[in-house]
Amino acid sequence: MSHFSLKDTEEYYLALSDQPKKFDADSPVTNVFFDDTNGEVFTVRSGGVTGVTVNGMDESKCTSFRMEDRGPIISIKFSPDHKILAIQRNHDNQNAIVEFVNFQDLAPTNIEYCHTCKWKNAKILGFVWPKVNEIAFITDHGIELLQVLPEKKQLKNLKSTSFSGAWFSWCSQSNTVLLAGNNGVLLQPFSLNNSTITKLQKLELEASKPVMERDVCVIRLCDATWCAIFRHSVSTASSPGPTEVWLMPLSSPNGYHHTHVLKTGLVGRFAVHVVDELIVVHHQSSKTSQLFDIMEESKVENNTAIHIPIVAGNSMKPAKDGDQLCPMYSGNWVVFQPDYIIDARLGCLWRIRLIPSGLAHSVVKDEIPKIVAVLLRRTEGRDTIYRMMNQLVTEAGTYLVELTKAFDEIHLVYRKWADLEMARNTAGQTVDTSRSPHRFPVIISQAEMCSHVLQSHIDDKYIVQVVTAYVRSLGRRALAAQHAAAELAVRALVARGAAGRLRALLRRGALADARPLACQLLSLGRLQPAAAQLALDMLARLHAKEEIIEVLLSWDETISAVGVARQAGGTTWNTLSPRKLLAAAQQYAEQHSEPTAFIAIYHMLVNRNEKLRGSPHFLKGEQCDSYVEYYKRLMSEQ
Amino acid sequence: MIDFKTKISSFFIFNSSLGPKEGEELKRILFFHPNQVTTDARKMQVGLCEAVVKFMSTFSSEPCDALQTQTNRYIFYQPEKNFWMVLVVRIPYTTKALSAIGESRGEVIEPTIMYDLLVSAYKMFRMFMGPFQNIPIEDIYTTCEEFFTPYILSKNITNDISDVIQGIHYLPLDKNSFFKVICFIDLLEINYPDFKCISFVYNDQLIWNALSKNDMLTLYQYLVQKLLPTQVAKEIQGDAVAAAQRHGRFISPPEGIRNKEDLQKLVKVYLMCEDDTETKQYYLIVYRTLSATVCFIVDVNTNLQIETFRSLDAFIGPQLSTIASTISEQCTIQALQNAQITSDTKFVYFNRLNLAFKSSVNRPINKLIPSTTLKPEVLSIIAGMHSDKKSLGNYGEIIVKIPDEYWITGKTSNEREFYVIIQEKNATLKEISDEVKRICEAQMKGVFFYPI
Repeated sequence: MSHFSLKDTEEYYLALSDQPKKFDADSPVTNVFFDDTNGEVFTVRSGGVTGVTVNGMDESKCTSFRMEDRGPIISIKFSPDHKILAIQRNHDNQNAIVEFVNFQDLAPTNIEYCHTCKWKNAKILGFVWPKVNEIAFITDHGIELLQVLPEKKQLKNLKSTSFSGAWFSWCSQSNTVLLAGNNGVLLQPFSLNNSTITKLQKLELEASKPVMERDVCVIRLCDATWCAIFRHSVSTASSPGPTEVWLMPLSSPNGYHHTHVLKTGLVGRFAVHVVDELIVVHHQSSKTSQLFDIMEESKVENNTAIHIPIVAGNSMKPAKDGDQLCPMYSGNWVVFQPDYIIDARLGCLWRIRLIPSGLAHSVVKDEIPKIVAVLLRRTEGRDTIYRMMNQLVTEAGTYLVELTKAFDEIHLVYRKWADLEMARNTAGQTVDTSRSPHRFPVIISQAEMCSHVLQSHIDDKYIVQVVTAYVRSLGRRALAAQHAAAELAVRALVARGAAGRLRALLRRGALADARPLACQLLSLGRLQPAAAQLALDMLARLHAKEEIIEVLLSWDETISAVGVARQAGGTTWNTLSPRKLLAAAQQYAEQHSEPTAFIAIYHMLVNRNEKLRGSPHFLKGEQCDSYVEYYKRLMSEQ
Repeated sequence: MIDFKTKISSFFIFNSSLGPKEGEELKRILFFHPNQVTTDARKMQVGLCEAVVKFMSTFSSEPCDALQTQTNRYIFYQPEKNFWMVLVVRIPYTTKALSAIGESRGEVIEPTIMYDLLVSAYKMFRMFMGPFQNIPIEDIYTTCEEFFTPYILSKNITNDISDVIQGIHYLPLDKNSFFKVICFIDLLEINYPDFKCISFVYNDQLIWNALSKNDMLTLYQYLVQKLLPTQVAKEIQGDAVAAAQRHGRFISPPEGIRNKEDLQKLVKVYLMCEDDTETKQYYLIVYRTLSATVCFIVDVNTNLQIETFRSLDAFIGPQLSTIASTISEQCTIQALQNAQITSDTKFVYFNRLNLAFKSSVNRPINKLIPSTTLKPEVLSIIAGMHSDKKSLGNYGEIIVKIPDEYWITGKTSNEREFYVIIQEKNATLKEISDEVKRICEAQMKGVFFYPI
């Protein structure tokens, strides 16, 4: 099977941040915490006495300060506006308590206070900041949502819900908490939006296959919230099957209703990330990361869609810390949503990113259209698509079929987008596009395709076939070939001696009627009468009477030009310059020795004058004196 | 009735320069039909024509067109220098003796139709054999004999409008199906660069053409008048190849291409491609599946391998049958739509630029049933208007009324011809003119006609 390889690309489709965010590595005197809501690493030295450093991707939010050591810290997190720091410590046999410190300009003030959980004997599993001045305590008894009033050094209960859970998973993008109850058989999601707690549809798993904390995470993908679960095959089986990732929708306002099953084909330790609406499944032992696209076309059976990786699994691009190569897929890595990786031993924080061109590095010939479709759904996909299309066009001798299908994919997206726009425009504001299941990160218009891809290939060997395939694809998606595409098609076909094909296409209506196209054809008409014939038909269909009149005048068909003008009637006929017509008529009459042609037109114009102004004479400004003389001469000769 | 079978008196080709001396007159005659005519009679006929042609040349630089005697009409056509093709047709005439026994006066054949017959005969000859002058003297007599005898005998010209105006039936296809055809051709030409697809015909309707205008008509006529009818007859009989028909096969050469020896039987043709400037010699290969026929040409200097044809067969077969079924579905839908809007209007349309021919009088599908809907007088009027391009000019309209209440309107505009036949006893010129305008607008949507 032959492979397509995009030139000047590397095999890697995933990379870590160019430079890691450095922090003090984990050590006996240093503790490292990560807050995935703000994406910040807290390094606490000697319980905070010798300093706490906060590092994040956002330099402006990085800070360091000192604090008292009041016991081992379990969790430490800033509020989203960095004005309150919340700390949970491990106090044996004490009520569940969280301490707060007000901050100003990223420096601690001396205003400190604390809050005790409402349930006696409850154990705080963790706390989260759904929004500024709102904190939720997640305990084994339930969730308590509180409003923080920093000035009053108080917290006010907003809402609480009881649920007996052992552990939880938090998604900061959607403010969703997933609590695991009943030994990991029952998963109960809660939404913490709008200052309240909303219970969502629970997920019940087979009692024989409960899940563990490390196998569950809540992710945000395609504007929906999902529970991602690693389903390892039963270990008692003699030959353990590979692990699957199940994506179950928790809240889907936009049409994702069924479970997606991602087939990894591997066993071992996994971690999952979301990058540019792609699910990344990292596999530690093989040191590879697979990509899954749940937006791809898939067959839904039993309310389940099955996916396989969009390209063969590959490693991430090796990361460097300074000049030092970092160990990849290290056992010290900790993965956080949506795209963070921490190596606590090295003291590095990375985000992962997609390298779209890596997807096209080695593609099985048949899968080229699929890759184009995948790239069309990526925010950074456009440039790679252009590069792929350019290369496919250059190698059209090998890839004509795949190129045609790639055009189809591009136009399918365009069609869907156009339909949606149309629906939105006709329905006014009632249709909310954000609720649609389709996102359109890359829409390639005809003008863009022409200027970025086709234009530069105008001298290619197979440009005629490529342009034909392009126009065909437009037709398949019921898109009219616009001016840019039509103009290019005409130019390419004529330049390559395929004018016959052009005419055949025009006769079948493959290029939409348009005045510029008609003018282009007219200019060919001198060499190819058939092109002129088609141009005139096209103008007639467009009701472009003025243009037809001009064309006929230029063809020395004065009588017909006047005929068309009179058919058009109204202003077209009434405003036509008499001097122009008489000049043309005189020329015609003299060249063809047919003075009657001039006389006929003269009479028509005189009639017109009479109708318009009640007088047969021409106006002074119309400068027709010489023609009046000519008329008199002709009449006297007869 | 324009019936050539009974009206053709003789058909011959001569070149005076081949036997300039006395006693060598027979050498000058390249071909003579009918062949039962004695050599003396042949010499006399040819001699007369030679004399007339020579005599006329002193008066005009234009070659002589025709000669009419009381009983015969001679039509001359000089396709190449010194080569003359002559068609002699009997003119119906009456003598007292004949009318006494009831022999009625027949119709006069339009000279233009005879002339067209000569031209198309020559073009067909040139397509397969090349120009006369390129054929060696020693071969030319047999070559002509072998070509023209079957040609003349098989030429079946009936009382049909499509013989008066020689055009091409195009299949009206929607653009997506049309693109399927083109993209199939593109893919094929990319994968088999030696092969060029020159035409794609469905039943007897053209979909794709890559030849120059003149050669396109000749090849089209060869396909729909000669090759395909015999092929269809074979298919109906259901001979040995029937089973393989779904997947298609090569029909030219007629036995197909199965082994190396068959490659020697490939037909050679002289053709000029569209957007090309010279005529070249090619192998002509025709492939057919279901009702779709595809013609390819390959440069004669190409070294052909039987494997190429096998792989070509495997490539085209399945794809072509899919395309053929798509087109067939389209045609069924169209036929249903057309059936609903049957109108009594009789019109004929012809576009000189792409030779498109359309007629409500004789739907191409019903070609097997000879049309009797047009009276010979009407045909003759249309033939006259069609050939007399001067009287209508670039654009114009002529309305002719003949006895039997027939009104024939001929319209030209922008290189198109449009004829409407109306049978209406008490009509005025104005009414006919309006009716023609209405029919023209209804039938020729999206076509620009010069205002009259």
